[in-house]
Amino acid sequence: MERLGRWLSGGALALVILFLLLPILVVIPVSFTEAPVFRFPPEGFSLQWYEKIGRVDGLLGAIGLSARLALLATVISLLLGTLCAIALVRGVVPGAAAVSAFMLSPLMLPGLVLGIAMLQALREVGLRDAWWSLLLAHVVITLPFVMRTVLASLSLFDFGMVDAARTLGCSYPVALWRVLVPNILPGFVSGALFAFIASFDNYPVSMFLVDVRTKTLPIQLLNYLEISPDPTLAAVSTCLIALTVAILLLCDRLVGLRRLAPV
Amino acid sequence: MNDQHLAVRGASKRFGTASVLDDLSLAVARGEFVSLLGPSGCGKTTLLRCIAGLLRLDAGSIAVAGRDISALPAHRRNVGVVFQNYALFPHLTVAQNIGFGLRAQGVRAAEAAPRIAEALALVRMAEFADRPVTALSGGQQQRVAVARALVVRPTLLLLDEPFSALDRKLRETMQVELKHLLREVGITAIFVTHDQEEALVVSDRIAVMNAGRIEQLADPATLYQRPASLYVLDFVGQSMRLGGTVSAAGLGEVTVETRLGTVRAPGAFAPGSRVVVAVRPEAVTLTETPPGGRNTLAARVSEVSFLGSRTQLHLDLPAGEDRGVVELPRLPPGIGPGSAVPLAFPIADTMVFPAA
Amino acid sequence: MKRDPLGLLALPGVGYLALVFLAPLLLLLWSSVRGPEGWTLDGYVRLLGDPYYRGVIAASLQLALITTGGALLLGYPAAFALARARGGWQVVLFALIFLPLTVSIIVKSFGWGIVLRRDGILNWALLNLGLIERPVRMIFTEGALYAGMINVFLPFMVLPIFAVVRMLDPRLPDAAATLGASPWFSFRRVTLPLSLPGVVAGVSLVFSLSVAAYVTPSLLMGDRYMTMSMVMAKAFLNLRDWQLGAAMAAVLLAMALAVVVGAAALQRRLGGR
Ligand SMILES: Nc1ncnc2c1ncn2[C@@H]1O[C@H](COP(=O)(O)OP(=O)(O)O)[C@@H](O)[C@H]1O
Ligand SMILES: [Mg+2]
Repeated sequence: MERLGRWLSGGALALVILFLLLPILVVIPVSFTEAPVFRFPPEGFSLQWYEKIGRVDGLLGAIGLSARLALLATVISLLLGTLCAIALVRGVVPGAAAVSAFMLSPLMLPGLVLGIAMLQALREVGLRDAWWSLLLAHVVITLPFVMRTVLASLSLFDFGMVDAARTLGCSYPVALWRVLVPNILPGFVSGALFAFIASFDNYPVSMFLVDVRTKTLPIQLLNYLEISPDPTLAAVSTCLIALTVAILLLCDRLVGLRRLAPV
Repeated sequence: MNDQHLAVRGASKRFGTASVLDDLSLAVARGEFVSLLGPSGCGKTTLLRCIAGLLRLDAGSIAVAGRDISALPAHRRNVGVVFQNYALFPHLTVAQNIGFGLRAQGVRAAEAAPRIAEALALVRMAEFADRPVTALSGGQQQRVAVARALVVRPTLLLLDEPFSALDRKLRETMQVELKHLLREVGITAIFVTHDQEEALVVSDRIAVMNAGRIEQLADPATLYQRPASLYVLDFVGQSMRLGGTVSAAGLGEVTVETRLGTVRAPGAFAPGSRVVVAVRPEAVTLTETPPGGRNTLAARVSEVSFLGSRTQLHLDLPAGEDRGVVELPRLPPGIGPGSAVPLAFPIADTMVFPAA
Repeated sequence: MKRDPLGLLALPGVGYLALVFLAPLLLLLWSSVRGPEGWTLDGYVRLLGDPYYRGVIAASLQLALITTGGALLLGYPAAFALARARGGWQVVLFALIFLPLTVSIIVKSFGWGIVLRRDGILNWALLNLGLIERPVRMIFTEGALYAGMINVFLPFMVLPIFAVVRMLDPRLPDAAATLGASPWFSFRRVTLPLSLPGVVAGVSLVFSLSVAAYVTPSLLMGDRYMTMSMVMAKAFLNLRDWQLGAAMAAVLLAMALAVVVGAAALQRRLGGR
């Protein structure tokens, strides 16, 4: 019976992992095919679809735009989120529990609703510039990710350690730097990583805010998929997967993968 | 009547390459309290888990009341366990925790209720029946853990360091209280502990464990007065011990040359052997002209510790195998750190062990 | 006592969200009841009065329920296996579950399409195994949609359950066994109740995400399976019917809030025991 449970749960885990990886892994062989359609098994080997990435109208531009947008939104969120987390953990904030729930709430809301609400409001105030609209909205998307992890690592941090460092001869700022920063760094890194990915991948909010000349990568990809579905998409996807794996490995090096757990 | 209630024979357990139990045997009589005493990591918990069926032995057998239970899973063994830190179910109340085992065994609610009440009363926790266990103090949690283990009427009770989570004062009360309670229930029990004083208080016999084996199993007095090895000597109580070489042997007595002088002791070693002689602190007196049958040595005091009912003198000895603790009911005037003192102790109370 | 200056550090972040997040939402809710001629419930009336839109709401809820149920069924035992895995293995397995979470939903939906195509990997595998004789149509079926949705949202079920199960004291099932509990009894009475907070977190997360899903259903089904999000997007972008879109947004918002608040209340009850 106990063994049966072990087998069942082990089997479920294997199935889950296989199932989760399947749609991700299939795009890799397809990106190297010679045929212009996605057929399985892929035929031949070529890099033509990777070469085509540069030639497809707007794809590189969209990658650049999404990267800049995600980076900027993440930096702004780190700033706003860290200040707010410090205030909530160390300061006296009336209704602190409600405030922190509010700061995390964009995570729980359907992205599409958020996108529409932003679109309507921005029209109302007359902001029609797509880049600024996207940036404003993406900070809303990224802020909760930063808040959550920084808040968690700050509240786990024992501020007695800062006092201990001070009795051992560190000035207050030096104590913060030597003791607080290394301890909340994992929260920082993982919060930033998630914020970046959330922005880089975002579709439902962006779809209302882009315009013809300012399109983020997910929007551009989906457009392309509708217009001319060919393995170029698989090539882009493979690059994105490689990038994600690289970021994850880097973060694992920096702070340990398990501390990155999002939920 | 079968006197051997629990019989562990030739038990061996490895974790990977580490041998944690090494051909260990242990016999416990019905109604007896035995302590497993040993340093952290010597395999006490592992032995307990094997007896409870939470781990399988690699070799050997375990029998309770003459029945081999080695192949039974834990839930068929009817061996009660009080876990270290108690492992109370945090989502259940006190009464639900205690009733858990009855429920698991399919005892009907009507029949279970009085037994739960009885168990609650036994550990004096009746008024806490409906509290969540997370709201209890350490001592109360321990009582609940004991009641939970006893209510299913196990054939054997295992307690893994049951007092280690309690503060010193409470620990001392609970030791006596628990011993009394278990005696009243009339159960056979094995206590695991790394605290020698606790072992002396709670048990009829003590099994001193060392690296997966039982070094000596004896009643507290024997263990203290006649330790079977240097290991047991050191683990149970304090002593003055001096390394030396046997210079003469005969008639069940050896003469040993030590750093502080010549010592005679009952024992049989060949001349030239490296040995350690030892004596318990309270056997030593400070007299220059003792009555006959005693060893006399000269030493220097390095530290004095006042312990209330007695005073300990720590002797100035170079670090190494020598260790010097002497206990006096009262400190004679004029003795302090640096004083030279004459030591005397009965030859009959002097122990000799082969050097480690 | 002086006002604590540290508390003021919360202001920029809170102010930002109030302006850029809360205000637009309130505006949207306001516009759902505000027509050209003053107050109106026209959007809601059309939404809830029309059998088509009621069908869409029902379909969204059904999709969310199936997705949540499927993810729970697969994810619950998997989370236990993950929690039981030893040291290095656990990190690797965790990474494998975690990685899909960071891969773009577009990439995953696109890959899922390749898996299910007539000349895709699944048909190819089934043909080669001799289980089918000619390719089966899988894409654009409801089964494919459910599988795709579960695929996208499964990590959100596994990880919260894992986070709770990992912290369970491994001696509790041991303690139950020494009290005579069979493994099944001890699972039902000890492990399951203690893992419920993780289940509640996972279920509420997956449900609220999947009830509002947009990309996966539109990529896998196109117009064949309309969800609330798709209707809403269409109302705003194609029909330019803001009244209707805003009403649908309000309904979605209410559902998301209900799930979050309900889950929080449930967590408190579970935690309070
Ligand atoms: N499940 C296990 N896997 C590997 N090693 C273990 C396991 N359980 C215990 N050990 C090792 O076995 C030794 C004895 O452990 P234990 O029986 O818990 O000691 P004690 O209870 O006497 O402190 C220790 O070195 C411990 O590290
Ligand atoms: Mg132990």
